[in-house]
Amino acid sequence: MITLEDDRLVFRFPEVHENARCVIEFQRTLRIPDDDTDYPLPPGLGPLPLRQLDDYARRLPENWQRRGGVIAPMHQAEAMWIEFEANSGFPSYPFAVKIASGKVCAITGDTWVNHLNDDPQDYVTLPEQPWLDGYCVEKGVIRQFVAMRLGKGYTVEEQLTGAARHGGIQIAVYPMKRERYRELAARETRVRYAKMPPGVVACMAPCEMGLAPGGRMRQEVYDDPYGLGVWDQRRSSRCFVTIANSTQWMAITGERPPTVPPTARRYTDAGLPWFEWYGGDAAAVAGSKKLKSLASVARMGESEDETPLPENETIEVNRVIGLRSSDSTRVREFSTDEPTHA
Amino acid sequence: MTHFGAVVRNRRERMHLEDRRFSLRQVAQRVGIEPAYLSKIERGDVAPPSEATTIRLARELGEDPDVFLAMAGKVSSDLQEIVRKRPRLFADLIRQLKAAPDDAILRVVREVRDGDW
Repeated sequence: MITLEDDRLVFRFPEVHENARCVIEFQRTLRIPDDDTDYPLPPGLGPLPLRQLDDYARRLPENWQRRGGVIAPMHQAEAMWIEFEANSGFPSYPFAVKIASGKVCAITGDTWVNHLNDDPQDYVTLPEQPWLDGYCVEKGVIRQFVAMRLGKGYTVEEQLTGAARHGGIQIAVYPMKRERYRELAARETRVRYAKMPPGVVACMAPCEMGLAPGGRMRQEVYDDPYGLGVWDQRRSSRCFVTIANSTQWMAITGERPPTVPPTARRYTDAGLPWFEWYGGDAAAVAGSKKLKSLASVARMGESEDETPLPENETIEVNRVIGLRSSDSTRVREFSTDEPTHA
Repeated sequence: MTHFGAVVRNRRERMHLEDRRFSLRQVAQRVGIEPAYLSKIERGDVAPPSEATTIRLARELGEDPDVFLAMAGKVSSDLQEIVRKRPRLFADLIRQLKAAPDDAILRVVREVRDGDW
């Protein structure tokens, strides 16, 4: 089951195990320059608001209503990242999570299917993967998720399928089989503190907005350390997240969308930190040749003689905070009223 | 019964064993209170802090804010507002569910509907 709690999707599998609970949140962030430089991780600027789509059914087109799920606002060319939290119980309950945009897998570039594949691996595992910022284009490199209007040809969906049918983001979560979790728990006899979040299957779909590949960022997508057979694929849950642009959002919900995030230049010039994640010995997947072959938003704009990304100048990042998987907290957020954790 | 401060101290000290940023001083700084005040809270010398501080403490220590608020003898203001708007309905609902097992309560929680996509 999936519930919406404080702008977070909470996935629970009480029929599998009481600890089988994970949380997924969509973080607003600044858009990194799309200039073929590899940047560190940008900050989280707070969660994107999420609302139950059914609450606004009368104001929505029929194809939006049919998808169910939730709705989120994004500005044109705004970036976001997905945060995973799987820290319910000890040891943390593991999950496999599939992520797609426009029903194209963000890890492999393949068309969405409701089951998991391991060759190539088309999912991330929790608690190993703390977040995902974009499309896995190379080993250790992603291209940032950037919201673009459907119909202009920029989105991954349009570039790979030639159609603008789905948009949005799709996420699916599969819990580890109960008996395998019990074996895992039995092996973890040494008591230690671990903070990580739990998971389920959710889907975020675009209506008028989809996601396109932006700038390059250093981020690893980790190999499944458990193996395909441990995941309970009979118990997955799905959710579709529709992305509305800011005008649509106000018309539908009556709420103002969040403000436009600062540019990478302004953020960096203010001396604020970027981040780097050290995942320890975890191995990373190779990255998708399909996704690597896609034109980034800036590159496509050049070929179309358009300027889809305002303020896309290269910046030099000097302040980078390292975060490690062994840290008990994984703060990657900046707020104006609290100091960041170094 | 374990008091709120003891839970906070126990949690913080466990985290401090693995991460030196969880010293009394640094946690107090991040939560926005004086170290001496956090020390008094942990010892139970003062009443639990305000709702806002309790929520910040919970998030800092990786705990559920509602659980921390309950341990501090409080109910979050957003929940109070929900009940105030429809007091009879929610009071009746909560009383009816008070002895229900967790899985039964989860069955009445509103789920995010999965559609056709």
